[in-house]
Formats: sequence, C-alpha cells, structure tokens
Amino acid sequence: MRLKIATGQAASMHGSETSTPNQDWAELLKRVAVRDDRAAFRELYNHFAPRIKAYAINQRFGQQAEVLVQEVMTSVWKNADKYNEGIANVSTWIFTIARNQRIDILRRMNRTNVEVVIETEELWQIPTEDTTVHSIQQISTESFVKKSIDTLPEEQMIALRKVYYEGKTHEEVAEELNIPLGTVKGRIRLSLQKLRMIFEAKDL
Amino acid sequence: MSHYHPDELMLMNYAAGNLPTAEALIISVHLASCHQCQTYVRQTNLLGGVLFEKITPATDDKLDDVDAFIAALPDRKNNLNGKNSSTPSGYRNPLGQYLPDDLRTLAWKKQTNTISKFDLNGLVGEKGANVTLQKISAGARVPKHTHKGTEYTLILSGGFSDELGVYHKGDFISRDASHKHSPTALQNEDCICLTVLDAPIRFTGWMRILNPFLS
Ligand SMILES: [Zn+2]
Repeated sequence: MRLKIATGQAASMHGSETSTPNQDWAELLKRVAVRDDRAAFRELYNHFAPRIKAYAINQRFGQQAEVLVQEVMTSVWKNADKYNEGIANVSTWIFTIARNQRIDILRRMNRTNVEVVIETEELWQIPTEDTTVHSIQQISTESFVKKSIDTLPEEQMIALRKVYYEGKTHEEVAEELNIPLGTVKGRIRLSLQKLRMIFEAKDL
Repeated sequence: MSHYHPDELMLMNYAAGNLPTAEALIISVHLASCHQCQTYVRQTNLLGGVLFEKITPATDDKLDDVDAFIAALPDRKNNLNGKNSSTPSGYRNPLGQYLPDDLRTLAWKKQTNTISKFDLNGLVGEKGANVTLQKISAGARVPKHTHKGTEYTLILSGGFSDELGVYHKGDFISRDASHKHSPTALQNEDCICLTVLDAPIRFTGWMRILNPFLS
C-alpha cells in the first residue's frame, strides 16, 4: 500500500529522479517539521528506509538491520526541523544520521563502563549551521557529483564502497581484494583527488 | 589557525564512520577549530551521501509494520517547546563540557618534573583506548621515543618543536613507528596536548626507565 501525496511537487518526485530530487525531499522534511505530516514522512520512508536497510546489511547488522532502520527513521522524524538545506542535501544528512546510529549501537555493545561517556553525537557532530568559508549550493551540485562519481574507475569505486558501505578499514579492503595496502590507499587517494577537483570547481 | 591537519584518508575514514572512538575524538576536537578540515569532512560526507543514494535498496516486505511504525511516532509539535535547543550551531569542542576552561586547573598526574598527564580513557569508555592530555612545562623536552603504532597529537595550548617542525595551537600531528622523535615545548608557555595512541609508546633512549606515557 502506498500513500499518495496531493501536491504536484511530490508527485513529480518519482518521475524526474534524474534532475534534482533534493528539493522535493527537503520540502517533505519541511512538512514533517512544520505540521507533523505523516504522509510526507511516508514518502521519505519509502525512499530512504530500503537504503538504510541495505547499509545496515552491508555493515553486517544481520537480523538487527530493521533496528537500525527504525532508529534512523525515528531520528529523521524527531530532527526534521534541524535539517538545513544550505549545509547538506537530504541523502547526505540521512547518511550521516545512519552512520552515527550505527556507531552508537556498536559503542553501546562495546562499552566498558556505564558511567558518563562522551556521546556519539558529540564525536560525529552534524552541524546545523555553516561555519566554513565556502558558500554552497548543494542542491544544484548533487546530481553533478553523482554523475562525476560514475566516471571513477571501477577499482576506485569498489574501494570507496567497501569503506563507506561496509565499514572496512584499508587493511581489511587490501586483504579482501588480495592487493597491497599501498595500492588500496593509492586508489582511494586518487578518487579523493578527483573529487576534490570537482568540489573545488563547483566551489563546494 | 592550524597549519598541520589530519591526513585526508583519516578524515575520509572519519566521515565514513570507521575510526575508533579515541581517534574520532581527536579529529572532532580539531574540527571545532579548523575550517579547512570542516570543509573537507563536509565533502567526504557528501560523497557518503551520494554513495548512499546509489546503494542497491534492500527490499522491504513489511509495509503493514511501516504504517504502524509511522502512526506510533510521537507528535513532534510537543517537543517544539525546546525550540532553543535547535538554534543553529556549527562544530563545537566535544571536550568543552567535560573539562574546565583553564586546563591548568585540572588534577594533573605528575610523570616527571616537567611532564604531567590527565587520563581521558574513561570518557571514551572503550577497551584499548589510549587517550590522555599531556602537559609539558615551557622549554622542557620529552625523552626520545618511538611508537609501536601511531601517535596522534593535537595542541590545545602552547606549542612544541621536534626534528620535523614547529607546531602551535590547533595543529594536528601524527607520528608512526618510523619516527623517532623528541618534542620540546616552546619557551614562552606550557604546552598542553591531546594525545591518542593506537599502540603503546616505546622509549629508545636512556630515559626509558621512566616511560612516562606507558603507565
Ligand atoms: Zn585541519
């Protein structure tokens, strides 16, 4: 069952995913923030929950994948008013929430003392205000960055995916691909260099 | 302003969420005062977001549960009284709420006449964490040592020099097993650093017996 959203803006979302869907996601978040719009939230859920679940599975959460999905989506609901379009596009914002919740679950499992420990949200902060010198138009650059990433050689993409999706260290990536550690680092550095050139060209 | 920063691979591992807590701590303290690294982390977060968008979605076969889940979310309007809590903010020093403004007033544990330390492992709360604040008296020298793993140092006040350079407040320095170094605090004030070790330090000189960082 799928809820239909009445506005034209949201309806266009699935049809024109190649353009800049961020504005649509941001609009839905705003509706959640302003008027507890559960139908808008359902649209966000439909798109992002299966991605969070895939992320959790890749991170070896197994049966706990659903737990991560619910924690992340609950956090999206509660913090919808903290989303700032000027700092991050919606998928980046949700990625950082998923990353932090994943870390938080792991930290809770490995905690050695029950006393005050520094919070995950302090260690991996998600700022709500831009304090850097660059001005950004995340919205217009998102699809550009996406396309640019598609031009990275497959071997670099594999390394990036293992680091970001699977939470692997460079050593683990090297072992898994059976290549020297230096080669892994070299591939990642090359991809970062290329991305940095893209970001700088876009003044990101 | 910092002149020495964490390596880009370390920042990317931070953005990907793959750093041990102790290393994330030293990175986040550095971020609080370094716009350059803030920008870089934002870029690597964006990379994470784009990769996240490109992930092959997992199938969700429990749509009825989803309806129940969404219906059960608490009304947000009720939390909005705490509107002040959501005033926009940038990066803050994560240690700020745990340490006094004047670090000199901490209960330092003397290691030698000129070196003291303050243990922060409890704050990290994980096995194997090795996080300390170090205080070196103005002009004093730390005995020559190497490390088994990597030592990360962030200068919180004062500065020091070693064989490879001169470092000031905000600088982030990493030294691996191949470096044998002997930092000397600058003359004008005590040097206070946040130090994270991913393996115990090994002293190489005659001062070995003191091993101030080992205890
Ligand atoms: Zn920096």
